[in-house]
Amino acid sequence: MQRREFLGFSIAAGLSAAGLPGCSDSGPLRFGIHPWIGYEPLYLANDFNWLPATVALQPGSSATDSMEGLLSGALDGAALTLDETIRIWSRGLELVVVAVADVSAGADVLMVSAGIDELAALKGRRIAVELNGVSGIMLLKILEVAGLGPNDVIKVDMPVSQHAEAWSRGEVDASVCYEPTASVIESLGGVRLFDSSDVPETIFDVLVVTREAAEKHRRPVSDLVGAHFAGLQHLVRNLHDSVYRVADRQGIDPDEVRSALATVMLPDLAANQRYLTAAGPIESMAGSLSRLMLAEGMIDRDPAIQRLSDASFLPSRVP
Amino acid sequence: MNVRRIAISLFLLFATDFLVAAKACADEALTLGVFAYRPDQVLQERYQPLADYLSQQTGIQIRLEVLNQDNMSRAIAANRLDFFLTNPSHFLLIRSERSLTGVLATLVRRSGESSTASLGGVIITRAGRNDIEHLADLRDKTIASPGVHFLGGYQTQVLELLDAGIDIRRVNLIRFLGTHDRVVRSVLAGDADVGFIRTSILEQLAQTDPDLFTRVKVLNRQRLAGFPYVVSTRLYPEWPLVALPHVNERSVRKIASALFAIEPEDDVALAAGIAGFSPPADYQSVEYLARTLRVPPYDQMPQLTWVDALHQYRLWVFTILVLLMLLVASSLWLARSKRQLAAEQRRLRQLIRGWPQAALLIRGGLFSDTNQASVDLLRYTSSESLIGKDLAVFSPEYQPDGQISRQKLAPMLERVSAGQVEQCEWVLNRSDGKEIWVELTMAPVHTEDEPEALILCSLYDITRRKRAEQRQRLAASVFEYAREAIFITDNHGVVIDANEAYLAITGRPRHRGIGRLPPLPVDEGTGIFASARAQGFWSGEFTSRRNDGEPVALAATLSSVRGDHGEVSHFVGIFSDISRLKEQERKLRVMAHYDALTGMPNRVLFADRLQQAMALTRRQGGKLAVVYIDLDEFKPVNDAFGHEAGDQLLVEVATRMRSELREEDTLARLGGDEFAAIVMNVQDDASLESLLVRLLARVAEPVWVADHSVEVSASIGYTLFPQTGDLDGDQLLRQSDQAMYQAKHQGRNRYVRFSAPSS
Repeated sequence: MQRREFLGFSIAAGLSAAGLPGCSDSGPLRFGIHPWIGYEPLYLANDFNWLPATVALQPGSSATDSMEGLLSGALDGAALTLDETIRIWSRGLELVVVAVADVSAGADVLMVSAGIDELAALKGRRIAVELNGVSGIMLLKILEVAGLGPNDVIKVDMPVSQHAEAWSRGEVDASVCYEPTASVIESLGGVRLFDSSDVPETIFDVLVVTREAAEKHRRPVSDLVGAHFAGLQHLVRNLHDSVYRVADRQGIDPDEVRSALATVMLPDLAANQRYLTAAGPIESMAGSLSRLMLAEGMIDRDPAIQRLSDASFLPSRVP
Repeated sequence: MNVRRIAISLFLLFATDFLVAAKACADEALTLGVFAYRPDQVLQERYQPLADYLSQQTGIQIRLEVLNQDNMSRAIAANRLDFFLTNPSHFLLIRSERSLTGVLATLVRRSGESSTASLGGVIITRAGRNDIEHLADLRDKTIASPGVHFLGGYQTQVLELLDAGIDIRRVNLIRFLGTHDRVVRSVLAGDADVGFIRTSILEQLAQTDPDLFTRVKVLNRQRLAGFPYVVSTRLYPEWPLVALPHVNERSVRKIASALFAIEPEDDVALAAGIAGFSPPADYQSVEYLARTLRVPPYDQMPQLTWVDALHQYRLWVFTILVLLMLLVASSLWLARSKRQLAAEQRRLRQLIRGWPQAALLIRGGLFSDTNQASVDLLRYTSSESLIGKDLAVFSPEYQPDGQISRQKLAPMLERVSAGQVEQCEWVLNRSDGKEIWVELTMAPVHTEDEPEALILCSLYDITRRKRAEQRQRLAASVFEYAREAIFITDNHGVVIDANEAYLAITGRPRHRGIGRLPPLPVDEGTGIFASARAQGFWSGEFTSRRNDGEPVALAATLSSVRGDHGEVSHFVGIFSDISRLKEQERKLRVMAHYDALTGMPNRVLFADRLQQAMALTRRQGGKLAVVYIDLDEFKPVNDAFGHEAGDQLLVEVATRMRSELREEDTLARLGGDEFAAIVMNVQDDASLESLLVRLLARVAEPVWVADHSVEVSASIGYTLFPQTGDLDGDQLLRQSDQAMYQAKHQGRNRYVRFSAPSS
């Protein structure tokens, strides 16, 4: 759940380390991961020792850790959202999407105060948003669907974790957030007006590796992707077991795990094949997102993304 | 009519429906079987309230039957149960044996305030067992389990241990005790080292035995937030409540709605220790577990079709296929190469064997293989006679150049072994003792890495050529050294080659001898070529002139040489210088016909001349006279002055007499001091007598011999021809001889004519 706790990170540190070599030839593939329901298959695989010695998971607390790790060269890959991937590209580090962990289908929500009953009514309203996170992307999509310009609304930039407080203080009329903040705001009288299920196949959580790792360390990358799908199979097939394990790791109730799982789509192998084809959904979405982000000033320069997705690491079948 | 019919129909319909419904209500008593995973009375106590609740809610009498797994299976087989509640593994087993309507609901178990629809396995041992801390310690420990078909009491643990690398079904002694309670007791009593039980058992037992958890130790405990029980394995869905297919759908619906209506706080739920029932769970994970462990109903080896196997092991199959293909391809390739090699060898062998020239393989200096031609060449019957021997065996001791065969051969073999090709002429002895010339070629045929030299030796019979060469040399030497001149001309007679003798005899230098006509007889000239052309040859003697103008007598033979088509292409001529021969012949002829002292014809020539003169006279009709002259008193001169002087006298007298005679007359010395003369064309006696007088006078003149003047006289007899009778020369000479004797008698120094004695 903490993937959205995205904080600004040191550009200088990132840039200075971007050129450093990645995965050392001898060591395992260092893969950054942080708690998020879509990344649970990898955690499960790790728990069941399904990750070969060629891959070493480097758990972090948030996406920030993974991004910094990638830019500093401490990591060879990480679990990130697509927009985070674009941000790293725009800083000059080429990444390759080797698997789609999940697609948001309702996890990201627009909460509005009572009285706003259509998107167009957002015009001129104060909207709490974390511009540097997936929440920012969600807002862009919302405005796009609403047919509003970027300046038609007043963006109140703050971390999602603070949205509930701001709401309760009456500082904002709407909030682009996700669970559990969404539930809190709902309990404060907020109404779910729009969620990511309305913009299908937009918010992707993906497994990425550096271009270097994808080209020079194919075996570890394949092992990583294989482990993800093994974990995914356990998650889906042994839901009776996995909800407890996820709940244990995330420190939440098993029922909350079930409801969290309901807000994401976990694409299986076939769906991944479809997503990762050249010029497929991932690449086209990355293209449109990067244009959007560039226009919004979320990234400094056009990442000129090419050959982003690579389906060749997907296993032919899951055991 | 219609109305009545409809009314009757409606009545019948209602009546039937009513009867069916009444029967259903009256007869409907359904049996709910519950698996006795714990002692029967415990289950009976817990689930009787559920049966009662269902009876009450549905209006159908529900009977509870608590059964162990075997009995439950039998009861189901006999259709004695209508619903049953059992663990997922047992459900899978039953489902595999008969089709069911499927799971109505999944049990939600309660533990205190929380509830769960998941179950798992617990691995326990006694609290004091310090030797058992981890799964790995379970190796060779005695294990107690309620039974194979217990999901939480056996299968989950087996899978967990299998993942940890221990297949307890192979290595451990497992006691199946039927219920979980017995397992716990067995572990606590120490009968078994380890016990397998499902989740919630310990918690349930702990209600009556509060310090139970202090006496047992749970192994491999899982940290699962929100799960109310201790657990050692991963979790699976809780028990299903299943309806059998024969139960009618209405009853099933009623039962299902009653089940879902149970709230956790209801008495029935509290009594059964459950929180209620949830919609059917997905039992796929249990199936997967059973398949993995190969426990019933998946204990049979699945009927793996080759397609499945191919799918499962496609990488291996592909690899093996590729390897096989490579193997087959390389085998084929090898076989083909081998065939090619064998064919190549056969061809090579055939080539050598069938080659019309003698060829032999020499290995280590000895013949190792031969062909038929070489056997034939040496006139043996089989190659066995040659193999194992060396070339020197078949050679004479000395080669024509004087070297010893064996000594000549050794360095040659050495050079060939070193890679050179040797070629020379060689003489061999055939088995019949005849010598033959061969052209010997030896070439190395071994590769560099072969330790032993292999040499191909070919023999080409050049005996015929050698003989031809010898003949040619002989012919050339004949041509060159013959004393006779030999020349060859073209078909026009122009000399194109000639030997030294030709140049010597003709006296021409070579540049004038070649390209010109050869010496030809003056009369015939180039006609001799025509003769030779017509008759094949011409021969004759003729005189020619040398280059320096000297005459030379030649005896020549000219032969025509015909070409392939019978036309004359050349002429070959031979001639020798016979000048000396001719000279000698002439001298001999002189000696035979002339007197050596005076040079006058002798008696032989005289007779010859007389013959000719007589023939001539006879033809011309003249007269001749034969005159016989004998010197008088010659002997005294001889005696007085010696033979020398006598000879001088004779020469002088002869010369004087000759000078008196005419050219056509002949004077011959017949011997001693006797001369005879033939006088041609005698006109009359007077002229003849005048001649005779002159002769007498000339003879009578003094002759100066040996410093002395000597005087002799002559007596002459003569006769004339023709006479009346037919006379020959001898008769004429005899007549003149008789007449001379007459002259002697009559006093010498006179002449007398022959007169026939009067008859």
